[in-house]
Amino acid sequence: MSVHEQFAEDLALYALGALAGPEKEALEQHLEVCSPCQSELRQLQSDATLLALSATGPVPPPRSRERLLRAIARERRAPVTVPKRSVWWLLAPYAVSAGLIVVAGFLWNQSRSLNRTLANLRERHSAMEKQLRVAQDLVNTLTSPESKQITLAPVKALPQPQGKAYYLSSSGHLILLANNLAPLPPGKVYELWLIPSTGSPIPAGLFQPDSRGTATVVNPPLPVGVEAKAFAITIEPTGGSPAPTSQPIMLGAAG
Amino acid sequence: MMADTTAVPSDAGLVSAIASGDESAMGQLYDRYSAVVYSIALRVLGDVGMAEDLLQEVFMQLWRNPMAFDSSRGALAPWLVAVTRHRAIDWLRKRRPETPVADVALSFEPDLASKTEFARSVGKIRAMLDRMPPTQRDVLEMAYFEGLTHSEIAARTGQPLGTVKTRIRSGLLTLRTALTP
Repeated sequence: MSVHEQFAEDLALYALGALAGPEKEALEQHLEVCSPCQSELRQLQSDATLLALSATGPVPPPRSRERLLRAIARERRAPVTVPKRSVWWLLAPYAVSAGLIVVAGFLWNQSRSLNRTLANLRERHSAMEKQLRVAQDLVNTLTSPESKQITLAPVKALPQPQGKAYYLSSSGHLILLANNLAPLPPGKVYELWLIPSTGSPIPAGLFQPDSRGTATVVNPPLPVGVEAKAFAITIEPTGGSPAPTSQPIMLGAAG
Repeated sequence: MMADTTAVPSDAGLVSAIASGDESAMGQLYDRYSAVVYSIALRVLGDVGMAEDLLQEVFMQLWRNPMAFDSSRGALAPWLVAVTRHRAIDWLRKRRPETPVADVALSFEPDLASKTEFARSVGKIRAMLDRMPPTQRDVLEMAYFEGLTHSEIAARTGQPLGTVKTRIRSGLLTLRTALTP
């Protein structure tokens, strides 16, 4: 069974309505995101129904039926029709929007400080959207079937540095993950190069390894649509070079 | 099970007839389920008069708001059972009605519209309960019919909380097998 074991007993209690307090809240939160537990709950509710049915046997007196039918005759009503409901629901968003506009206008006039808060929120919202786009680009570059993976290996037998570049030419996005890089002497920096099918190497970012020798380059400024023949890493003076000034220490052909 | 459905209107069909104000459909639905609703109300409340009142309330609720039952989410019988039990516990504990039974979507095999099939199913469920150790049956019934929480059950029976939880779960899982062929 794929049900999360820690919730299994609480689910049974919950199905009987016997769970209370923080355990109930924790389970309800978990249920919102866990479909195996949702389906187990439905099954347990069904089991609880069996328990209910064990009580069947007694039959209500005939007067109960008459009482009900008299009561509904008193509450005779127009049919509940679906179209009425759907028209209402179609109008609801407009009503809500109109309401929001009125409220927004009211707030706008009420207080400049509220306006400032609103502006801040918008700023944060757009910053978050931007972060989201960056994250989407990252994921896309890593997972797109069009994305080329290039492993960069050391040119000479140095202590096993390795780099992995993910490159999506259609959008010009590039990610380099490197590790076991040797520390650099002062005044030097690693520079990544995109070597196009034709033309000179294009600078694709500067980086310094951290204390563990790992480094990343994420989305350096690159022209869009350049077909890569290879990627290379050279050691350059701090600030980088517009064209390589040394032999590459790592190189990987774009397959 | 299939044989009945051609001659007898389905539950969902009756509910939509009720939605369009058909009083005779209400009568048919009452004939089909009043005994189940009444039995559960009586089992929980232990009082004939209160059980009749609750029976009235449950069916009036369906008459006033038939759309509260959504046939796409499950069958009517388990929905009625859950609504009845919920209201009965509310009455028993003299609580204000809690939020309506929101999401009772159940898979439910026995066809309550067929009386023989239903009686056979109830017989199997009772036999299964009778075979259970009394300590296990008691905790299940305290939770379901008396509306006690797990800690209240532990306090009343003197069983450790963990034991109550385990017994309730394994009891339900045992019941599950009652209707499997």
